[in-house]
Amino acid sequence: MNKKQKSNTGGYEIRLSGTGGQGLGLSGKMLAAALSDEGLHVAQSQSYEPTSRGGMSRSDLVVTPQTADYPLATGLDYLVILDTRAMSISDGMINTDAVVLVDEELVPEPPKGDFKVHALPLSKKAISLGNLRVTNVVSLGALIALGDICSLRTLEAAIERITPKKYAQMNLDAVRAGFELAAH
Amino acid sequence: MSEMAAPLTPAQKSTDQFEIRDYLRLDLFPHFLCPGCGHGIALRALLWAIHDLDIEKDQLAVVSGIGCSGRLSAYIDANTFHTTHGRPLAFATGLKLARPDLHVIVITGDGDCLAIGGNHLIHAARRNLDITCIMLNNEVYGMTGGQVSPTTSLDRFTTTTPLGNQEPGFDACALATGAGATFVGREVTLQTTALKILMQEGIVHRGFSFVEVISDCTEIYGRKNDLGSSPEMVLSQKRSVLPKFDGSAVDKPFRAGNWDTGVLLRKERPEYYEAYRAHCHRVLGDGKSK
Amino acid sequence: MMSQIQSNIPQRQSLQGNQACALGAIAAGCRLFAGYPITPSSEIAERMSKELPRVDGVFVQMEDEIASMAAVLGASMGGVKSMTATSGPGFSLKQEHIGYGIQAEVPCVVINVMRGGPSTGMPTRPAQGDVMQSRWGTHGDHPAIVLTPSSVQEIYTQTITAFNFSEIYRIPVVVLYDEAIGHLVDTVDLPNPESIKINNRKWADGPAEDYEPYAPDADGIPPMPLPGDGYRTHTTGLTHLESGFPTQVPEEVTRVTSRLLNKIELHRDAIEQYELSCCDDADILVVAFGITARASERAVNNARAGGIKAGLLRLVTLWPFPERILQQLVERASHVLVPEMNAGQLILEVERLCPDSTPVSGVNKFDGDPIHPDEILAKIEELADE
Repeated sequence: MNKKQKSNTGGYEIRLSGTGGQGLGLSGKMLAAALSDEGLHVAQSQSYEPTSRGGMSRSDLVVTPQTADYPLATGLDYLVILDTRAMSISDGMINTDAVVLVDEELVPEPPKGDFKVHALPLSKKAISLGNLRVTNVVSLGALIALGDICSLRTLEAAIERITPKKYAQMNLDAVRAGFELAAH
Repeated sequence: MSEMAAPLTPAQKSTDQFEIRDYLRLDLFPHFLCPGCGHGIALRALLWAIHDLDIEKDQLAVVSGIGCSGRLSAYIDANTFHTTHGRPLAFATGLKLARPDLHVIVITGDGDCLAIGGNHLIHAARRNLDITCIMLNNEVYGMTGGQVSPTTSLDRFTTTTPLGNQEPGFDACALATGAGATFVGREVTLQTTALKILMQEGIVHRGFSFVEVISDCTEIYGRKNDLGSSPEMVLSQKRSVLPKFDGSAVDKPFRAGNWDTGVLLRKERPEYYEAYRAHCHRVLGDGKSK
Repeated sequence: MMSQIQSNIPQRQSLQGNQACALGAIAAGCRLFAGYPITPSSEIAERMSKELPRVDGVFVQMEDEIASMAAVLGASMGGVKSMTATSGPGFSLKQEHIGYGIQAEVPCVVINVMRGGPSTGMPTRPAQGDVMQSRWGTHGDHPAIVLTPSSVQEIYTQTITAFNFSEIYRIPVVVLYDEAIGHLVDTVDLPNPESIKINNRKWADGPAEDYEPYAPDADGIPPMPLPGDGYRTHTTGLTHLESGFPTQVPEEVTRVTSRLLNKIELHRDAIEQYELSCCDDADILVVAFGITARASERAVNNARAGGIKAGLLRLVTLWPFPERILQQLVERASHVLVPEMNAGQLILEVERLCPDSTPVSGVNKFDGDPIHPDEILAKIEELADE
């Protein structure tokens, strides 16, 4: 079962993966909000387990101009991996020419295939910003710099809208840092 | 949603005007109760209390469960709901929350209320929604042929305790008190006037009130245990009560032959529906918007 | 046949399936929710607890699943639209009261967000294992209406339809969807509230004297008495006469129970909802609902792209099963395929309705993962090769 059939509705699929507690649900929500602002339909699903910390975690976005025929991920066009524990869940699901972004420290052996792998110091950048927990937002900034998903400005506006005030600046700094990290 | 029913005042009508036929669905008679059953007396006391409180029949909702007690609602000329086994308090909770303008009275039995419905009793008592729960305790499952119940006295014979019951029973009033009921009382059927007054006080009380009626099952339980006929049973019940008019039912060991009767507990605590509404208005303000 | 809830002013938002359910209920006029926490449906209760106080409604978290269903019935008998939400184990516990609601003809809505079973099963994983329970979960002969949305948008509209059907036909209506749809967050366009069609039950309004609460109108549905309106009726779960009082006389029991069973049968055409895609010339007909219908839609489209004449009958009303349309479609189709996230339940009904000459196959999965579109496509291709 390795057909990697693209969605029929002319869209693309994004997966943010890692471990529970890395805030992938939240970063998925930020990206979904930005894409919705650009007029797209976004179907978001995430791993939903009784344990919310420590295990594999993923947040999937199926992005389409109209409501998707099938709303769950089947072939990934963009994949972020922030922990080796999330590696296997995407086996056989990565599309040809997909953009794969991994944390160079946390994922020392990224997947191999006919797709582009970018290993960047995402968590290191987050630590340099003063908080390892913004690795998720750093990776969002890097992802949109690597792939033509949405503009930084749209993402920043969405992050500002859905982040509680006291964390807004930290997240905005993180997304910009991530963007610059990948754009270089 | 409707407004909460206005508070009642005790004894608005003179009791001598009471004509039970005004409150019964006479076309359903003769009723199904066995000769000598105490439930009929309890029903009379309840209707008498309703009469004296001047409650409009249209504004009265009687909710019952399954068992002999459950069948009583059908005879009352009011909005009556014969629900499922053990759950009349849960039905009544939904009904009262939806229609706080109605006076909601639950009629239940010892098996209905304390066994299959025990969870609903303790939570109804905890919430303190304005419902009156009348529990008719005849110590047995009569409708199903006389099986042991959570209030069957020690050593009594039932169809499922052929060697005599060895399980300790519940003190229903202590249970209701412990769970947070704000009005608790107990009475025997022989003292019908006292029972009527107790029910009346329970209905007037703003909050969850629990009234245990010591009823008798002559036909099945009485016969099986050689307790005599109905007059002998109710007289022996009367001999075994200790009238009590104040204080708490908690910490009183429950044993046959030492039943406290009268008002066992009366205290004030916010009524659930009023408190819910007031709290929502306080937090959300008048606009109710975010 | 899809229920049409027109949207004049789209209110686009990102919404979770379970949240959409709560908002649909509020829009339908639900003013009391009684529930008990259970995965994966709890977001419905949580959202209702937030919304109801804002519309003068009541939210109550009951002591258990059974009490929740009882409170919902109690509220509706008091005249207020009410709902509860649950999943497998809770749905099992509610069955006796669903039966009461059917017998006493109490309108209400029960949401069942399906998870893996039996028993505690897989609380966080999607399944479609309650197909038969939703039809036959309570004891005795009884009618049932079960709706199965397959998108977040449709959870919203079908929750409203569930309330409408429950009010019109005086019956508890079950909305059945899987965890995958319940937890999906999707971009939806909520209709303008004024454009939403809302049905309310018929209230009794004749003279109170000799009033019979279960005497049906010509449509088979008796108007409902409102407590306080002077009718002072009796409601019971016992088999009862038009008067509301019990009977065990065989002829009377036959009469009143037949009316109960027929009242849904009589209105089948209005209740059956489904969606057809590529069915006109379909040789291979796929019958599915919920998330599996979404996977089937892609599989059918991909099969068409590969030159296979496949079509999809997507069930929105699961029960009563849309019999006539299936029978029409199988006059042409040479093979029927029923993918479902269980060991084979819906297929039994499809087989019952298909002629012996039409083979019916399943794609079955009960491992906690949704059926992948390619798994359905592979089966379609296999059938096409035969």
